[in-house]
Amino acid sequence: MDMMLFAPELTLVLTGLAVILIGLFIPTDSKKILGYLASLGVIVALFLTVASLGTEATAFNDTVSIDALSQFFKIVFLVVALLFTISGIKYTEGNSHTEEFFALGLFATIGMMFVASANDLMVLFVAFELASIATYALAGFEKKNPKSLEAAMKYFIIGSLSAALMLLGISYLYGATGTTSIPGIAANSAVLASSPMGIVAVVLLIAGFGFKIALVPFHMWAPDTYQGAPSVVSALLAAGSKKMGIVAALKVFVVALIALKADWQIAFAILAVVTMTYGNVVALNQTSVKRMLAYSSLAQAGYITMAFVVLTPLALGGGIFYALSHGFMKAGAFIATAAVTYMVLSENKDSTDPDHIDNFRGLGKRMPITALCLTVFVFALAGIPLTAGYMSKFILFSSTIQAGFVWLAVIAILNSAISLYYYAKIVKYMYFLPTDGEKISEPFPYTVAMIIAVIGVLVIGFWSEPFVYWAMEAAKVLIPGGM
Amino acid sequence: MMPILSMVVLIPLIFAALALFTKTKEQARAIALAGTVIVLLLTVYMYFNFDSTIADNQFEELAQWVPSLGINYHLGVDGISMPLILLNAIVLPLLVMFTWNDERKSPNKFYALILATEGAVIGVFTSLDFFLFYIFWELTLIPLFFMVSIWGGPNKHHAAIKFFIYTHVASLVMLLGIFGLYFAAWDMTGTPTLDIPTLIGQFQYIESGIAKDMIFLALLFGFIVKIPSFPFHSWLPDAYTEAPTAGSVLFVMLKIGGYGLFKVMLPMLPFTASPNLMITIMAVLGSVSILYGAFLALSQKDLKRMVAYSSISHMGYVTLGAAGLVSLSVSGAMFQQFSHGLIMSIMFMSCGVINSTTGTRIINDLGGLAKKMPKLAVIMVFTFMASLGLPGLTGFIAEVSVLAGSFINLPAYVIVALSAIVITAAYHLWALQRAMFGVFNEKLGTVVDINGYQTFSMGIIAILILYFGLNPSPVFDMMLTNSEHIISLMAVMGV
Repeated sequence: MDMMLFAPELTLVLTGLAVILIGLFIPTDSKKILGYLASLGVIVALFLTVASLGTEATAFNDTVSIDALSQFFKIVFLVVALLFTISGIKYTEGNSHTEEFFALGLFATIGMMFVASANDLMVLFVAFELASIATYALAGFEKKNPKSLEAAMKYFIIGSLSAALMLLGISYLYGATGTTSIPGIAANSAVLASSPMGIVAVVLLIAGFGFKIALVPFHMWAPDTYQGAPSVVSALLAAGSKKMGIVAALKVFVVALIALKADWQIAFAILAVVTMTYGNVVALNQTSVKRMLAYSSLAQAGYITMAFVVLTPLALGGGIFYALSHGFMKAGAFIATAAVTYMVLSENKDSTDPDHIDNFRGLGKRMPITALCLTVFVFALAGIPLTAGYMSKFILFSSTIQAGFVWLAVIAILNSAISLYYYAKIVKYMYFLPTDGEKISEPFPYTVAMIIAVIGVLVIGFWSEPFVYWAMEAAKVLIPGGM
Repeated sequence: MMPILSMVVLIPLIFAALALFTKTKEQARAIALAGTVIVLLLTVYMYFNFDSTIADNQFEELAQWVPSLGINYHLGVDGISMPLILLNAIVLPLLVMFTWNDERKSPNKFYALILATEGAVIGVFTSLDFFLFYIFWELTLIPLFFMVSIWGGPNKHHAAIKFFIYTHVASLVMLLGIFGLYFAAWDMTGTPTLDIPTLIGQFQYIESGIAKDMIFLALLFGFIVKIPSFPFHSWLPDAYTEAPTAGSVLFVMLKIGGYGLFKVMLPMLPFTASPNLMITIMAVLGSVSILYGAFLALSQKDLKRMVAYSSISHMGYVTLGAAGLVSLSVSGAMFQQFSHGLIMSIMFMSCGVINSTTGTRIINDLGGLAKKMPKLAVIMVFTFMASLGLPGLTGFIAEVSVLAGSFINLPAYVIVALSAIVITAAYHLWALQRAMFGVFNEKLGTVVDINGYQTFSMGIIAILILYFGLNPSPVFDMMLTNSEHIISLMAVMGV
């Protein structure tokens, strides 16, 4: 039965609908329960997905497939969703729109999961839009906060534009090959390679996905949106939605358009180098921690994009593994800033920039757990050994050397060295600069979410074998015979 | 058999975590002493069960870690690493004793960082897997960075950042070299491995000569920046001088650059595409460091800075001896690392004591301290003599072996180095004369001699300098065994 293969998605659909329905009938004070319900649904879906690792099947007339790649990315999305729902319990406290927050988060996750499973460009596009529309609304969740509205507006306009470009690209592929099935396009790729339509499609698709992954020069929306949106939502955007762009790009370029490799490989090489360098250099000077994390997120996307350039099983596996690590690190870091925002707002309701780095002064004394967790996240993002970030960089960077792209590895490694500077700056503010603030009690749900993320970062960094194994299995789905 | 190497690495790290949670200075220093003494006892036990007649790795521990990438948890010691572990294990408890009565902010973090550095450094010496090796290699940076940036001198932030970025970039270049070696071997054998002995063994079968030279140079760069050698030494004077006394001593214990030279570089050297070029590079860097470091030391006004520059000069012997490629020069270079660790510990401790009691380290502002600080004066004069190479002390044995051994293959470079000996004697004696003897400078106010703990720790190290100077064989024998093993590889190649 096809439906059983999608038990995790169905669980989320039912949970999302239940959250909306129950939310209609209970008073605002008791809406906390919706957060627990949503988290429970995500946990169940996560278990179902982990249990189905290794299953291979296609469903709905081959438009959707279950394989190591789809399951691996679903785990990434569900982990991020779990961190999102747990920290959302605190964020939505006393908010009468709680049910919308959780339902939208769950629907966005379902969209991302179907992108990971899509075997047909139409399914991919619809799922992509499901996730995007839900996140547009989430970015503007603070209706009275102009920054949040600005973030949502920018994200919406640019997101719609990128969707249009993507759809146009898909229509060219359909026009040239007569099919929207991903394996079907791959089989007819000879037609594409010989016609100018192929190039047009590649350009449109790179721009479309480039917006979602936030590759320079398609990144303009990302810093504003990540900064303006509520931190918990930024976590979902940076850690979840961005990975959706990556898995979609993997499917479209590495599987469907592999025959046009020569055309897009060089484009991705330039995008990767420009993105990581721009992200790291601009991050150096930021005073808003969320904005700094947004630029660091650009840089990390640049690293992952290297997998599209190198295209060996090890590099793709490394990129996929990096996506998982980045999910934990980035979501954790944004949730830590959410905790700090909460602290600042509870002291001064009118604070306009609660994520300013000055608010992180002496955080080691004021919020010891948050500070320690954030230290782990930024060190992991910088690639300090024994964290998930180090292992990811180790595999990805080393694979570029294996394939002979020494120049790319050198640029990436130098970037990594630059990034240490601004990550260390956050740590310096937290532990070495004095503050006159009092110690405050740390909000429990944020703490739980951060601790889960820290455990993830350390376990992946230390006991890497099973994660590396499944990432390599996922890479084999993309290029079965190796290169 | 108990996993003694894991214990030697993990105990300092565990005690570091414990020290972090202490509330008072008394608790923190007690934990630090307990941790370092346990490591000393284990190391002494290991030393007496070590077979110095074979060049193999001993006390090996092997467990799979990430098999799909060929990463293992592989530890072992040989005649190159054993003396360096011993050096750390001996000096660290004495360093804790030396700081016993000092007053400073956050003593819990201070002692935690000392212990963490010990664990990381011993980790580098025991790792036989490049992945593990690199983790410990990078881990040594972090405690030292904080050591300088929290308790350092007036220019501490600049010095800490410079040290961090300089050596971090060098480590990344080294990492590129490791990747190169890893994949070249992977392509040949079809199985990934990061095992150090295996990869070194497979290096010779790499076909491309350019690849071999690139790998060799990338690794060499990582190591010589850590040593440090001219022209990559500029982080050292800042970091050594700005660090607190304990930090300077920890820097001196950081013999990982020279260790890499012997453990990784020399066995690969004969199989590079142009071994003679590599030997020339190392010989030039070594002999120039000796001479240039000595000249810079001569011109320093600050006593601690002078000691820091003399360190560059002395570490030049390590590079030169390694390039000398006869068993005498190589083992002499290894012994220089051991000897330099002991001597420099006292030199930096002396600078620290003088600074804290007189408030200055400017040599010309001092004077006649010997009258007021007789105990310090005795130990200091003794150590300065050891440092300038007085026969009967460790420095002499190391430098004579290096110079005599290297003269066989590299006579021209040895002559350059020899000319530095006069300058070395000059800056040592001149500084000693100005600072310790002559008329006491009354502006310095009340000057107190070293306390009992300080006398004890500096005295023990001084006795060891004398002991190993008269009877070097307890550590020299195992160094010689490993050097002969390395040289026998060369003989096969006819280099």
